[in-house]
Amino acid sequence: MRLPFLSMFMTSPFDGLEEHAEKVKECAWTFQQAVECHMSERCQRFEELRKEIIRLEHEADAIKRRIRGHLPKGTMLPVDKFQIFRYLREQDAVIDSVEDALDWISYRSDPGIPKELHNDFLLFVDAVIDPIDELSRMVIEARKYFQNYSEGQRAVVKEIIRSLRQQEHNADKFEDIIKEKALNMKIDPVTVFHMVRLAETIGSIADHAENAGDMMRAMVAR
Amino acid sequence: MTSELIVLIVGYVFGFYMAWNIGANDVANSMASAVGAKAITIRQAIFIAGILNLVGAAFIGSHVTDTIRKGIVSTEVLTDPHQALIGALSALLAAALWVSFATWRALPVSTTHSIVGAMVGFGIMTGGFSVINWDKLGAVVLSWVISPVFSMLIAFFMFKVIIRLILSVEKPFTRAIKLAPVFIGLAIFVVVLSFLFKTPLGKKLSVQMPSALLIALVAAALLGWLGKLALVRFAGDPAVEGEEGIFRRIQIGTSCYVALAQGANDVANAIGPLAVIYFLVKTGEVGTKVPVPFFLLLFGGIGIACGIAMAGHRVMDTIGRKITTLTNTRGFSVDFAAATTVLIASKMGLPVSTTHAAVGGVMGVGLARGLEAVNFRIIFQIVIYWILTLPAAAVTSMIIFKLIQALY
Repeated sequence: MRLPFLSMFMTSPFDGLEEHAEKVKECAWTFQQAVECHMSERCQRFEELRKEIIRLEHEADAIKRRIRGHLPKGTMLPVDKFQIFRYLREQDAVIDSVEDALDWISYRSDPGIPKELHNDFLLFVDAVIDPIDELSRMVIEARKYFQNYSEGQRAVVKEIIRSLRQQEHNADKFEDIIKEKALNMKIDPVTVFHMVRLAETIGSIADHAENAGDMMRAMVAR
Repeated sequence: MTSELIVLIVGYVFGFYMAWNIGANDVANSMASAVGAKAITIRQAIFIAGILNLVGAAFIGSHVTDTIRKGIVSTEVLTDPHQALIGALSALLAAALWVSFATWRALPVSTTHSIVGAMVGFGIMTGGFSVINWDKLGAVVLSWVISPVFSMLIAFFMFKVIIRLILSVEKPFTRAIKLAPVFIGLAIFVVVLSFLFKTPLGKKLSVQMPSALLIALVAAALLGWLGKLALVRFAGDPAVEGEEGIFRRIQIGTSCYVALAQGANDVANAIGPLAVIYFLVKTGEVGTKVPVPFFLLLFGGIGIACGIAMAGHRVMDTIGRKITTLTNTRGFSVDFAAATTVLIASKMGLPVSTTHAAVGGVMGVGLARGLEAVNFRIIFQIVIYWILTLPAAAVTSMIIFKLIQALY
């Protein structure tokens, strides 16, 4: 049945955003497992987990395309259409960076991460997991804000954005420590390069999460 | 049995069928926002819509009935009773056929537009293009553009006001309770005014403008206050429902308001031509003005109510499942805008479509950034069917006219 009243209501892009954020969250856990697995000597599942991330990235990509493809001209949203696209790009970049990090590890899995850096990397990964987790909560809370336009709800969203910024800052510190250590180790330069670049890639996960927060801040601006 | 009687019976059948179609098609537009926002259940929607459309049709609906016929087609065409009879019948038939076709093909057409088109077709057949009052027709066409725009503006400002005064404050629930009399009062104000100026009963009282305003104001204040008391009593749990819960309750009222307005406005589509047929058969002539007897309005109202009862469920069910982002504050804004537009327009004697007023209302809320995703391009699709409906109904009406003339 095609009622004119009904055909005005389209599938909300926020459904897609939530779904996409959920995928990002799913990959956070897998990412942590993969890095830990890589560093432990007994674990053989690294490749399997990396494949899992690749699969999640593909699914997230499909969701992203679906959102972009289903907002035709003349769609009225609570926020600017391009703000959603820009937000989505950042959220998608998070998952891309996760994939890049695992790929980068896999290019030189032997000798892998030097023992001296294991602990720092574990802390570093922990630090970037938090902002990834926050993203899906942020989308859900923002959606609530667009529903009730309450100032209290806006404050909740802003608080999440603030904590994303803080978490990115924390992650940065670990990145600096790792880079400093790696560059001053007396080991083969290829490993140094491998580690520095790995730290940067993992660091960019948190950067993109923070960027997503900034985009969200623009969306909930009055 | 005389041929006149046969015509009258056929007129009744098609008048009823037209009213049935109005009920089946247009109920979606009046109840959609309430059902979509889960303010009322499907069963309640059908009940409210059925009863109040009937009441609106029977008690408020007489003013518009003569305007459609009189305004657009010059009364010259009615000087020959024989021609007028065929004309009215073919107009009714054509509109009913076109609406059925539209229902079958699921085209978003308005019953109001169909009957206007069919009337124009009949006018052209009997008196040529000169009998058509192009200025009036132009005004009607213009009102179809104006009504969604007007409704859009009302909905836009209403929702903006709700955001500003209620949603964004620190304690929206308390504020909503506090301001409830204003929102209830506003709705009551428009209802009372339209009642005083439009209904036969209201006209009998012949209240003039300043005192009418005063009466409406007093009624609005009183009922608004009573409404608030009722809300405080039955407000529900603020933690669970919050300010939306308040609007959910107000929306039950506005749904009634829309159903009433719709009944008053749309009954003319079915009963207008039938009234002409009725008078021609009974008195053999028809003047410039046809007083529409009460029982005809009631007949139309029953037709609409039957349409709602029989087909409403399927429509509502679809709406309830498809529209999930409409909350009660938004639904209230849409309802209020649509009903106010329809009442004001019919007060001015313009046959507006409830569909377009409702569509305009949703767009207004969308513009106020109240909805997660609204498709504005649908307006172009609707405009195409506006443009299409008039000539299609007119041509159908002309063909039927020729056919009946040949047979008769």
